[in-house]
Amino acid sequence: MNNQRIRLWDLPTRLFHWLLVLAVLAAVVSGQLGGSLIDLHGKIGLAIVGLIAFRLVWGFAGSTYSRFAQFFPTPAKIRVYLKGEWRGLGHNPLGGLSVFSLIFLLTVQVTSGLFSNDDIAFVGPLFDLIDKSLSDRLSGIHHLVSNVLIALVVLHVIAVAFHGHFKKDNLVKPMLTGWKEGVSGEPASGGGIIALVVALVIAGLAVYGASGAWLPEPPPAAVETPSW
Amino acid sequence: MISKLLLALLTVTLAGTAAAQVKVEDAIKFRQSGYGFMAWNMGRIKMNVEGGQYNKEEVIKAANAIQAIANSGMGALYVPGSDKGKGWDETRAKPAIFTDKENVGKVAMAFNKEANEMAKVAATGDAAAVGAQLGKLGGTCKGCHDDYKAKK
Repeated sequence: MNNQRIRLWDLPTRLFHWLLVLAVLAAVVSGQLGGSLIDLHGKIGLAIVGLIAFRLVWGFAGSTYSRFAQFFPTPAKIRVYLKGEWRGLGHNPLGGLSVFSLIFLLTVQVTSGLFSNDDIAFVGPLFDLIDKSLSDRLSGIHHLVSNVLIALVVLHVIAVAFHGHFKKDNLVKPMLTGWKEGVSGEPASGGGIIALVVALVIAGLAVYGASGAWLPEPPPAAVETPSW
Repeated sequence: MISKLLLALLTVTLAGTAAAQVKVEDAIKFRQSGYGFMAWNMGRIKMNVEGGQYNKEEVIKAANAIQAIANSGMGALYVPGSDKGKGWDETRAKPAIFTDKENVGKVAMAFNKEANEMAKVAATGDAAAVGAQLGKLGGTCKGCHDDYKAKK
């Protein structure tokens, strides 16, 4: 044990992570309860579109340990890790697999949600672009993936708890403070203000695109309702 | 002779009554039509609540339509064998509807209750109350969809 510490997670990555935690929790609860909350569920979905789009850009433009290439889990790396011979910083190969799986499934989840309907009174913001039967299929996928995602999140939390409890490696603290204690290595660099602005602009555009605000206005509801 | 004729007539009538039970294909069609028509009316109410322009009469018409269908005894359309088959479309009713009778009755009655309440609230013309009631009503739709409507 040494007293060294390094900068591991940049602030945007940490903010992304914890905002995503809140958003996914809120999405699960509002989706399960339904009723009046279904409209809120749709808005949370748009927020998650923004977060995921941001993270996808940040995976290229962010700082060292936030980059996808840094923790891309190849089978070889996973084998090394499982043998206990992996010595690295940031996401370990299994953690990386978890990150990619979560991002991929969340992308499927928000995309299917945008086109979904609940056969009650809610349709996703891009529902009008496809026909009802395809929307029904995507709604089915949305339900299915929600269960897979919940299982993955539980696994993620269990894995983090396992690292803290048995391997005495606190993974939560660096995700809060950005600093990893007791290690030495290359501190995170890159992901400056320009990268941040670019990522935020792209995230904003993604939310705008997903919101359907650009779709032509539907013709105004019949002003004259016939008496019959 | 006459009694024999009467008996024959009675038999034919009874058989006729039995045959008048809705055919599976028709039952599924009527179900799908009922739910589809209610969906139109749910959408109408929602549009009025959200659109900024609240039209009390429109909402009353829509709420009354939902109430009427909710109280029409649609349960009778879940005839034996109609867990499979095609109406306008392949039915998405799960077989559990035909076995979990007690719970199906519960979720169906919850829906009826909120549909009746919706009609009452619509009559007041209070847009905010209508919006809240629409949420409750939609929640009872979901209560059935979650367990008894197959996902595609």
